[in-house]
Amino acid sequence: MTPTTQPRFVRADGPDKVTGSGRYTADLTLTGMLAAKFRYADVSHARITKLDTTAALAIPGVFAVLTAADVPDVHFGPFVADRTLFARDVVRFEGEVVAAVAAITPEVAQRAADAIVVEYEALPVITDIEDALGAGSPLVHTGWSDYGAADPVVRDRNDASFSSITKGDVDAGLAEADHIVESRYVADGCHAAPIEPRAVLAQWEGDKVTIWTSTQVPFDARAGVCETLELPANRVRIIVAHLGGGFGGKCGFHYEAHVAALAKATKRPVRLLFSRREEFLAPDRRREGMVIDITTGVRNDGTITARKAWIAIDNGAYTADAGFFPQLAAMHVAGPYKIPNVHVDAHLVYTNHQPSGSVRAPTAPQTCWALESHTDEVAAAVGMDPVAFRRLNAVDTGAVGPSGQTYGEIGVQQCIEEATKLVGYGQTLPDDEAIGVAIGWWPSFAVPSGAYLKLDGDGSGQIITGAQECGTGAVMTLRQLAADELGMDPENFELVYQDTSVAPYDMGATGSQTLFNNGRAVVAAAGQVAEQLRKLAAEFLEAAPGDIVLADGHAHVAGSPSSTVSIAELAGIAAGGELLIGHGSGAPPAAPPLAGSSCVGDLGMASFVAPQFSCHAVRVRLDRDTGVVRVLEVGAAHDSGTIINELGALGQVEGGVMMGVGQALTEGTQYDDQGRQRNAGLLEYKLQTCADTPVIRTHFVQINTPDAGPRGAKGLAEAPNVATAAAISNALAKLVGKPVRRLPMTAERVWEAMQS
Amino acid sequence: MSFTIATSIEDALAALAAGARPVAGGSDLVVGARHGKAPLPDSIVAIDRLSELSTITLTDDGLRIGALATHAAMMLDATIVASYSALADASALVGSPATRNVGTLGGNVMNASPAMDTGAPLLVFGAMVELRSTSGTRSVSLPDLWVGPGSTSAAADELCIALVLAKRPARSGSAYVRLEYRRAMEIAVVGAAASVTLNDDGTAGHVAVALTAVAPTIVAVGGLDAALIGRPVDEDTLAAVARAAAEQSAPISDLRASDSYRRHCVGVMARRAVEAAGRRAGGEAIAIPVNRAYGIGASR
Amino acid sequence: MSMPIKLSIDLNVNGVDYPVTIEPGRNLVSVLRSEVGLTGTKEGCDDCECGACMVLLDGQPVNSCSYLAAQAQGRAITTVEGVMRGAEMHPLQRNLLEAGGVQCGFCTPGMIMSATALLARNPSPTEEEIRIGLSGNLCRCTGYAKIVAAVQATAAGRY
Repeated sequence: MTPTTQPRFVRADGPDKVTGSGRYTADLTLTGMLAAKFRYADVSHARITKLDTTAALAIPGVFAVLTAADVPDVHFGPFVADRTLFARDVVRFEGEVVAAVAAITPEVAQRAADAIVVEYEALPVITDIEDALGAGSPLVHTGWSDYGAADPVVRDRNDASFSSITKGDVDAGLAEADHIVESRYVADGCHAAPIEPRAVLAQWEGDKVTIWTSTQVPFDARAGVCETLELPANRVRIIVAHLGGGFGGKCGFHYEAHVAALAKATKRPVRLLFSRREEFLAPDRRREGMVIDITTGVRNDGTITARKAWIAIDNGAYTADAGFFPQLAAMHVAGPYKIPNVHVDAHLVYTNHQPSGSVRAPTAPQTCWALESHTDEVAAAVGMDPVAFRRLNAVDTGAVGPSGQTYGEIGVQQCIEEATKLVGYGQTLPDDEAIGVAIGWWPSFAVPSGAYLKLDGDGSGQIITGAQECGTGAVMTLRQLAADELGMDPENFELVYQDTSVAPYDMGATGSQTLFNNGRAVVAAAGQVAEQLRKLAAEFLEAAPGDIVLADGHAHVAGSPSSTVSIAELAGIAAGGELLIGHGSGAPPAAPPLAGSSCVGDLGMASFVAPQFSCHAVRVRLDRDTGVVRVLEVGAAHDSGTIINELGALGQVEGGVMMGVGQALTEGTQYDDQGRQRNAGLLEYKLQTCADTPVIRTHFVQINTPDAGPRGAKGLAEAPNVATAAAISNALAKLVGKPVRRLPMTAERVWEAMQS
Repeated sequence: MSFTIATSIEDALAALAAGARPVAGGSDLVVGARHGKAPLPDSIVAIDRLSELSTITLTDDGLRIGALATHAAMMLDATIVASYSALADASALVGSPATRNVGTLGGNVMNASPAMDTGAPLLVFGAMVELRSTSGTRSVSLPDLWVGPGSTSAAADELCIALVLAKRPARSGSAYVRLEYRRAMEIAVVGAAASVTLNDDGTAGHVAVALTAVAPTIVAVGGLDAALIGRPVDEDTLAAVARAAAEQSAPISDLRASDSYRRHCVGVMARRAVEAAGRRAGGEAIAIPVNRAYGIGASR
Repeated sequence: MSMPIKLSIDLNVNGVDYPVTIEPGRNLVSVLRSEVGLTGTKEGCDDCECGACMVLLDGQPVNSCSYLAAQAQGRAITTVEGVMRGAEMHPLQRNLLEAGGVQCGFCTPGMIMSATALLARNPSPTEEEIRIGLSGNLCRCTGYAKIVAAVQATAAGRY
């Protein structure tokens, strides 16, 4: 079913955002509010030998100084319970919180944090992920075997989570090949870098706490507070004001419990505001560095016979939500290709770096960059045009993928066709320009989600949803779904959202899942109200409920447009009787079955629900004297199913592409030899500016996908971030004569590749 | 802590004599304080309202640029664009429109960062710095002023009043080029300014090159005139310039670039600066900033 | 240690004089947000690298995170709250919404300040001039295309 609402779309939260009246968490104040500051470890691995807060507490204006001794002794973590609120005995990365201060002003709080005496005994700093996997490596967590963990998680020494995918016989497949291509690619870690640094404000009323926080995942944040402070869910209320971007960086549970604990200790509201530097150093959500080895066997006719790969992912000091990354990366290194024989081993490796976590399509951009750069090497080995090679080997409708999933209708071949057309692939270019092409994929995440919908007596509606708006417009688009269902205008609905005590559960602005799952919930909730309206209209118009049509703000009898009553009038009738209230959730689709493969450490990612496909074709220019690259033009074709809100969808693609350009060329974390970040600021960690932007042309391949979300929509927010760096790499390889095997492909790295 | 707004140069000098630090746009001072480089001084005198210090005047002796001239003003000033193009190139590359709007030439010069973009152009123009205190005025050359990164030979009570640039001979051109990883919000990783004066026959009459961010201060490349005078500005000349620049630089490795990459790139920048300066000396109009004609700076 | 001395000054923000008493070292953004009570101006980095704190000072864009509030005495400060024309949105504000130039909205106030300053000094900017004019304002959501489109539409008199 195609949407009936118009493409013209103005965000419900838009006027607030353009006039400056909109409130973000850092804009909120409460009477009597104190300021929070953290004392961080500052060293990457050490045993705490002394921790003395006396001097800090003695500073006038300091209300509380908290350490591990002041909160319940709880280990937490969604996959491995390796984390505590405050460091206990050992610190494992520079941004680990050792103590928290609440004081009368931020300046006093900072002075107090600095006055806390912490002494350390140095422990070996583990920074190299390959070394860390070695038998002789010191351990980041010596007591790891005592930590609780999710059942499928395979752990071994510094290997925090191991996954493999095996299909067919990879050695036999390689033996059948005419050419075997081996490649190694290494990606640096990088950051989500939302423009809003995070903020948390907490206030207790009796034994209940309300926490305003800049989180993408309010319910996850609530669960974290409940777990670590040992509170039931109904006594913790998480409210999110406008959220200034997240990109995964604000997923998970971060500092809500620290601030709540300070507020409890001081009997005052307490607010924490992060600086940009803290935003870089402290949260357990940065994009993981990776080492990727790929071997592919190919016949002279271009068909792939086998793929073997080995992946090591930098987990950092704690596992956060990265437990499923090995399996996700394994799927991405296998790629959306028809390969009969596959074996991939993927390791998530503890180091003393900042912990990794879901940043916009975790593991995918780096792995796609490696795989697709490798794919161009494989195509070259058999003398095939890289686009023709992809057309031949990419999965298609009815094909079996690398993990044994058989695909329903999918649009990867159409994506290749459209993206290459968008940039004129094959045209003659100046000798400092080239076009590179890459394909990518990404699952839709099917998870439970809920919403309420009500119409009040005047006929105006409210959607009360657990979904979280992080800027993508996904929550804004819910109004369209409700309006379509009820024959009303989107403007008839107000959104009530981002409050865990008001709305039912939703996973949050993560996994591109909002419209996919909460959309289903809103459609279901609206459907209940539609049923009620049809019943009321049937009585009013003396017709059968099944004959009532809801359209243009009215209910009418099918075939008799003059037999009509306004929905507002029906709502007025309902206000005197059975109220118009709907609730919805709807069962999420099950993961498609796999055949013929086996997975160790199976965390559910080897099978992609409603998979999304993309192809990016990118024209770049290389300054051969310096290695500086400029991206001139991007053609992005996406199969994300039905596009419900085209303006919003285009914004997702354009933003995702630019993030990909940054990741390709200028965004990479640099560490010193002690595992500390050297470029934790926006001058040295370079986001792309408005002046750097290429022309971005987008095409949506809209086909009917099995198990899709409402109206046939799949996810979209992460997919555009997957293939851009890979396409840039392939363009660059044509100009340099070989791939640049380090990500980001900085000017200096490009120049180095040209030297050798 | 005290804060005063000077309404005359005399006010400002008196405040400096009493121990105040001057602030014009303030970004270096405020950002530096927040990043723990140096705490905000106890006493500040704001000099941004001394409008007599923001004038740009062409005199018989050359160009006098008030210390408070902003980057935005310099990149648009007709005389600077036409005759001191390298300074316009550099001004147009600084930070963003807002930083160009607030940042001043005097602030740059007295901050003495080896990565300042305006420094190399000033050096190739042989600029003199006019410093004034309650005890008088003196004129200092830039090599005498800049003693190290962030450090000058000026006394604490001396205020930078103006930069005085020598008159430009006929058939002269100049350019400033820098390496940039993105097209805005950059800091120089390496940069080079060049001034070229052509003889009537089109050969080089005078060539000066100065380098950004490859030594503790902005440095001039020595010995170019001896090597290049009388030769055409051709491939050989440019190669010689690139070699000299690379050899005479002393770059460090840091998070922005390795020493070897910097050494390579400073040669590229010097070559491009001389090439562009030579073309401008020959009467060719190349838009400000000249970076846009090269590499990443080029428009789509 | 000497006692910190506070300054009592008036700041003219969006045409209104606000008396404030502040430490001389306070930056303008914190005074606008905490003392004047206008939180539309955002803080994203604290060192002129993101542009979220952009305000106009006598019509010129300034990063208020790196500008002393005390220096703004006697100057006309314009924040995003001063951009509306009475009860009506400025055409640029409307165009940002229509074009899809707003996602999370955190960069939007600073972007609006840079764009209005650009349009004031150059009413018909080329696309390149718009891109350079907005290059001091980082946006992580949009990829900038729809923001540029909104400025173009405003320059063309459309809204």
